[in-house]
Amino acid sequence: MTQRDIIFVANEVNELGGVARWQALMAKLFAESGHRVTIVGIAPPEVPMDLGENPPFSTVTLYDERPPGRWQARTLSDRANLRARRREAMREADMRRAAERLSSVFRAARPGAMIIVTQVWAMEWVALADTAGHPVIGMSHESYEYSRGSSRFQRVERYYKETDRLLLLTREDADLWIGRGLNNVGYMPNPLPMMPEVPSERTEKVVASIGRLGHQKGIDMLLDAWAEAAPKHPGWLLKIYGSGPDEEALRQQCTRLGLDGSVEWAGQTDDVAGALRGASVFVQSSRGEGFPLALLEAMACAVPCAAFDCAPGVREIIRDEEDGLLARPGNVSELAHQLGRLMEDAALRDTMGERARTNVQRYSPAAICERWEELFTFLER
Amino acid sequence: MSQHPDTTPDISVVVIVFNDAARLPTAVQSVLDQTLRNVEVIIADDHSTDASFEVAQQLAARSDRVRAIQLPENSGGCGEPRNQGVAVARGRYVMFLDSDDTLEPNACRNMLEAAESTGADLVSGLCLRVHTDNRHGKTVKWYPWLYRETRTFDSVAEIPDLLVFDTLSTNKCYRREFLIDSGLVFPRGIHYEDLLFSAQAYLAASRITLIPNTVYFWNVVEKAAEKSISNRRHEINNFADRVEIHRRIDRILAEQGQDELKLHKDRKFLKHDLVLYLRDLPFLDDEYRHHFAEMARGYIQDFSQEAYEGLSPIHRLCAFLLLREDWKNLTPAIDTLINPGKVSSSLVERDGRVYWCAEHLDDPVGREILDVTDLGYHAKPVQRLALRNQVTAYTESPTGVTVAGALVNPLGVIPPNAKLKAELEFRARRKSLQTFRFPVQSVKHEGVSVAWQADVPLAAKLRPLGIIDEVWDVRLHLTVDGERTTSRLTVGQTSLEEGGAVRVRPRLGRMTADRLQPHASAKGHLAFRLTQHGRLARRTSMLVQRNMQSPPAELAKKMARKVVAARKDLHSGPRKIETYHRMIRLLPVRTGTVVFESHLGKQYSDSPRAIYEEMRRRGVPFKAVWSYAGERPTGFPKDVELVRRWSWPYLRALAQAEFWIDNQGFPLKLNKRPETTYIQTWHGSALKRMGFDEPKYRIKPEHEQSAYQEAIDRFDYFVVRGRHDEKTLAPAYRIPEEKLLRTGYPRNDALVRAKDAETLDPAARELADRLGIRTDRPVVLYAPTFREQNGKVQKFEFPFDIDAFADRFGDEFTLLIRTHYLNSVTLPPSVAGRVVNVSEEPDITPVLLLADAMITDYSSVMFDYALLQRPMVFFTYDWEEYVDNSRGTYFDLSEQAPGPVVRTAEDLFRVLEDLQSLASEHEARLKEFVTQYGEYDRGDAAARIVDRFFGNRGDAR
Repeated sequence: MTQRDIIFVANEVNELGGVARWQALMAKLFAESGHRVTIVGIAPPEVPMDLGENPPFSTVTLYDERPPGRWQARTLSDRANLRARRREAMREADMRRAAERLSSVFRAARPGAMIIVTQVWAMEWVALADTAGHPVIGMSHESYEYSRGSSRFQRVERYYKETDRLLLLTREDADLWIGRGLNNVGYMPNPLPMMPEVPSERTEKVVASIGRLGHQKGIDMLLDAWAEAAPKHPGWLLKIYGSGPDEEALRQQCTRLGLDGSVEWAGQTDDVAGALRGASVFVQSSRGEGFPLALLEAMACAVPCAAFDCAPGVREIIRDEEDGLLARPGNVSELAHQLGRLMEDAALRDTMGERARTNVQRYSPAAICERWEELFTFLER
Repeated sequence: MSQHPDTTPDISVVVIVFNDAARLPTAVQSVLDQTLRNVEVIIADDHSTDASFEVAQQLAARSDRVRAIQLPENSGGCGEPRNQGVAVARGRYVMFLDSDDTLEPNACRNMLEAAESTGADLVSGLCLRVHTDNRHGKTVKWYPWLYRETRTFDSVAEIPDLLVFDTLSTNKCYRREFLIDSGLVFPRGIHYEDLLFSAQAYLAASRITLIPNTVYFWNVVEKAAEKSISNRRHEINNFADRVEIHRRIDRILAEQGQDELKLHKDRKFLKHDLVLYLRDLPFLDDEYRHHFAEMARGYIQDFSQEAYEGLSPIHRLCAFLLLREDWKNLTPAIDTLINPGKVSSSLVERDGRVYWCAEHLDDPVGREILDVTDLGYHAKPVQRLALRNQVTAYTESPTGVTVAGALVNPLGVIPPNAKLKAELEFRARRKSLQTFRFPVQSVKHEGVSVAWQADVPLAAKLRPLGIIDEVWDVRLHLTVDGERTTSRLTVGQTSLEEGGAVRVRPRLGRMTADRLQPHASAKGHLAFRLTQHGRLARRTSMLVQRNMQSPPAELAKKMARKVVAARKDLHSGPRKIETYHRMIRLLPVRTGTVVFESHLGKQYSDSPRAIYEEMRRRGVPFKAVWSYAGERPTGFPKDVELVRRWSWPYLRALAQAEFWIDNQGFPLKLNKRPETTYIQTWHGSALKRMGFDEPKYRIKPEHEQSAYQEAIDRFDYFVVRGRHDEKTLAPAYRIPEEKLLRTGYPRNDALVRAKDAETLDPAARELADRLGIRTDRPVVLYAPTFREQNGKVQKFEFPFDIDAFADRFGDEFTLLIRTHYLNSVTLPPSVAGRVVNVSEEPDITPVLLLADAMITDYSSVMFDYALLQRPMVFFTYDWEEYVDNSRGTYFDLSEQAPGPVVRTAEDLFRVLEDLQSLASEHEARLKEFVTQYGEYDRGDAAARIVDRFFGNRGDAR
């Protein structure tokens, strides 16, 4: 196998969240296969994630502080605003300087190098830089539908159009982008972040949810669903792991629904495997997702999942009725119903949990790394 | 860096060329520019007589990835050069490219990736037709529905549409060994070689992958010259080749026992292939038609009856009439085929059904095929019909033309004694330019048709601009007792060959054009084109043509485009919203102005109407503005200001109104100023989950949810009918307690009052008289709601046999049918008088007042009708499916329904047998239902609302 230089370019090297976790994991896996890995971040992280001691890759950050957004004159008075225009000119000059640093990283790489642009904002700098003839692989770590609600949608169309490949998380998402007229699109699933030796025994009467307490994760809908399901299943506890901006409002909603007795606010945890081992069912109530690591982890722990079918990545990971249960997005009663099925049927939990642990192996680090290697050689043909 | 040890190209692209030296380099370059580099090009020249082969050799000399071959003699088709190209190809895969087309830059990479990952013998991608001479850069996707997503099949039998529709050979990538092993070659010396080759390839492939990527740009020239007669004859002759190809495919299908595929192909032949040729038939003479019919009959007569299923009624009857060579009835049917929606035949009615023609009805097959009742022609008034208008005579003089024609009169929709008036309209095809109207001198009712004749002084009166309004379309407006129907003129066999003598004086001068030339448009309608006859005109025109690409012309075009864009922008949605918000800031509120809207402007109805009428009745001084949707407002009162929804006057009225009153929602994006009071009357209590209780709103991202909430927060008052609304609608829309108006619905006042009335309400009486509904026997209303599947509204279909219903109950009571406003229904003439369609009535209240009993399902009309305390039957034949496809319900209807809940048509009929006991048995439940779901409806809602908001407004102001 060719030993390559692999350069990730991301918004930040290690901003706390799913994308940075994925990036650090892939960088480690590539390094373990003998590649030389560099992670370039555009800006420093706001909430940094610990990369551990002596990570097997080098890191570079282009800016000392987060650069301001683009400014555009829209009206006549805007055009007369000399200060804003000067600021914009400075921003552009800074950007060119940053791109030049990026170019030197690219130029220093050996032939056969691969540039992986993790997020589309970072692509704005890569587009300005000299890629020194190395293939550029763009990535979008969210579902097509979820992109639509954000400014990233236009930016993907604009900046990723000319990259050698644009990778989505699933075939379905890739096809949707192709339908929009991008013809350089492929897909690459996320690798399984962990494979605990000891799975959950599924003996505790606990349903676990792990995720940031923000709008996207839909904990408000989970509470409504729990209000429908809990009374029929006394003794069961919903443990909500995570913290976030909506915590206060969610706790109030919980009290209002009279669920204080059956809901535990478990706070943020570093021991995901431990949390999952203490649960018999995992629930995900998100409004939008990409290729959720949380589901992969729960399944790796042999915990059966009930989830809103909010993204192709979700129905790709969970095979509905085989190794987990799906509910139509936003259909709270249906989610409650699926939770109920898992809570009242230990045999169902066991078969689905065990199948989940086996099936999720198709995303093992080895399998995913092999797909990456195939992609690298394919792009050289 | 890894190198492929062998030098085998991944893909060989065979580029065929014949006398196309100019475009060949572009095609070849599109292969060399592929993102997949390991490709080779084989140029196969079909013995061109121009420099094509020299160019090919030059291209080959310049790149070691290009080779050129030449056929020893011209083969006259696309097949043989491709065969020769494949013969020398070395790649593991093969693709085809024509010298006038190009490949999408990622095509080879995407094809290869798909082929290698699925192991397919054949990969097919999306082909894009590029209209090279179109001003707007028009492109059309070729059968896009086949290419929405990546799919892999083990046999083409799994996807018959691929075989029958995508018959191109060029948008595909074939494993070369697969071509060799299957002995796949293109046929020689016959047209449509692609058809046979692709069918054979599909059938031989043991795995096929379809990818949604655009792979091939098919360049087409749009402005092909008008078809001459000989041109049309030529195409008819090609039909022989097409049939031959189809017979060959049929033989393969038969050998493989692919009966299902054969059926699909037959169906497609009837639906598409045949239609291509039928279009030309009206213009050809009898001998050619006969020749064509013979050929067609020889092929399609063996088709099974099943092949006709799934075809539209018009397709079916065209095929039927062609087989019988009934030109008299077929010619008009072809007109409808080309112009869907047009009524081309005078139609006949027999035993309550409507037929295309009176002939062939003794034949049971003919009777079935010619039955066009379901098209609903008979239920439409003349102003909603597009009638066939056949030109019967056309003569020219230098001053103008004399045209005569005949309009069909289907089922006598134009009565013999009707007052008829007509005018001809000439309109420039390019939008928003001039139109000219000319009187039609004679209009005569002739029973099955209306004949007309007009002398049109075109030379004196038609003044085109010149250059930019080259084409003129002609329409006839016929006024029948004040109602207008518009038709285009069908040329048919009327000869226009002698035309072109009419002089014309364009405003830009005679140099631009000096004559009008008649022709038949693509849809077969009479149109005129400006032409140049005199030397000066011809020379100027050539000069203009030549200079259209010059820098000054480009500049002029750019300016013109800017003006058009600016005008478009001025009336665009965002611009309107922005200006509206400026109006709110700058313009004062006009005290006493009330803007009313019902169901987004669709009707003058519901609670806004009831409030308006109460205000009028009391003589409250106010200025009423009613919003309407659509082209023309119908049914609105005379003495109000009418504004079209989203028009400038509408926005201005909303910006300055003191009150907004509506029942669904003024445009969500329009803010409301604090001085304006918004009374939201709403339009029904809820069974289905609503607002933020609906999954589709719950799942929305935060910013969209808050935008929606802001729109709802514009409501200052929200009318509720009872505690049920307070527990469902109010929280669903997050409406705070203090905004609730607990008055009941103004629209329901009439229902509450009618409950104890002795006599029939005047509005109901008027309705009965107008529609001829007998009031001496019971009236039963059927009012179902709509169904949706995956968010799409389903077409209404009777869940019981309407003829059987009429036969069983027709003598006992009249059935009224009212579909949800998202649906519509046409009744067969057979049930006339026994079943009456009241779906078109704007206001449902008189319908409810007239009905002695009601059948419904899940419609919120149950809450309103219950106020009359008359019996209801709930026909919930699809309850589980309905609940599953919608979004959940607030209560279980089967437990709460104040009447029998039936699941089958037989049960429904049984219940209706005894209307008397139906009424008596459920009286108590009905009362309970009203107190449970609408206790605030007490008959004084409008009065209380007017009291509260307009009560102290004396007559002084």
